[in-house]
Amino acid sequence: MCGAHAAVRHLLGGMMMADHPVTIVDMEAGLEHLSRGTGRHVDTLVVVLEPYYKALEIGRRAAELGKELGVSRVLAVANKLRDAEDAAAVREFARVNHLEIAGEIPMDDDIRKGDLVGRAPIELAASPAVTAISALAARLISRVLPSRGPE
Amino acid sequence: MPTIAIAGKGGSGKTTIAGTMARVIARGGREVWAIDADSTPNLGITLGLSREESEAVKPIPRSILHEDKDDEGKRRLTLGVSPASVVEQYAAATPDAVRLLLMGRVDHAGAG
Repeated sequence: MCGAHAAVRHLLGGMMMADHPVTIVDMEAGLEHLSRGTGRHVDTLVVVLEPYYKALEIGRRAAELGKELGVSRVLAVANKLRDAEDAAAVREFARVNHLEIAGEIPMDDDIRKGDLVGRAPIELAASPAVTAISALAARLISRVLPSRGPE
Repeated sequence: MPTIAIAGKGGSGKTTIAGTMARVIARGGREVWAIDADSTPNLGITLGLSREESEAVKPIPRSILHEDKDDEGKRRLTLGVSPASVVEQYAAATPDAVRLLLMGRVDHAGAG
C-alpha cells in the first residue's frame, strides 16, 4: 500500500470515529483508489455519470465497489447534460443499474472557459451548473433525497 | 457531519462538483474540510486558490501515521494524531474558508 493513499485512508478512518465538519473528498479518477479501500471510510459516495459509455461504465463500477466496501449511501449525479436526450440516457442507465440520481447538472461551457483563465466555477455569473451543484449540496447535507423519478 | 466522496472517470467533472459543493456549504455558514485525493490535484483552483497558491499547498505527510506491531507481531499503521490536528497543521486556507488537505504524491512505479 502506497504511503500517500495510506495516510488519506487512515485519516478518513480516524474521522469515522470522531465528530468533524462536513468533509468533501475529491477521489482519484477511475477505480484504483476505491478498490484499495480508501472509499471504505466515507458515509456517502457520489459517482459522477457523464452521458457516454465509458464514463457511465466507470461510474457503475465505482458505485458497485462503494456498495461492496459497505458505504452506507451510494448515489449518482448526472453531469454535463447537453439536452433532454442526455438526461434520459443517464436516467435509463441509472434505473437499469439501480442507482439513485441525486442531482442533474447541465453542460456549462463557461466552466471550461473559466478554467482556462483560472476562474473557479462558483465565481462565474449565473452558471446553471453551479445552481444545480448548489441544489445537490443542499440535498446531501440535509439528507433529504429526491425520489427516483418515473420508472 | 458527513464525509462525502466524489468518484468517477477522469474529466467527468468530479473536481468541479467537489470544490463547488464545498464552497456552497461553507458560504451557507458551515465549517468544511476538503481532501484532494486525486493524483493530479487541482481542487485548490476550484476552491479559489491561484495556480501558484495551489501548487504551494503542502501534502499531508506520511508522518501522521504511527507504525507499530500488533499482538501477532505484524506491522500495523494507525493514525498517530487526531484528524482535527492534521487539519490544524497541514490544511491550506482558501477564500471561502474551506480547509484544504492534499494527498501526498503517489509513486505509481512503486505503488502496491
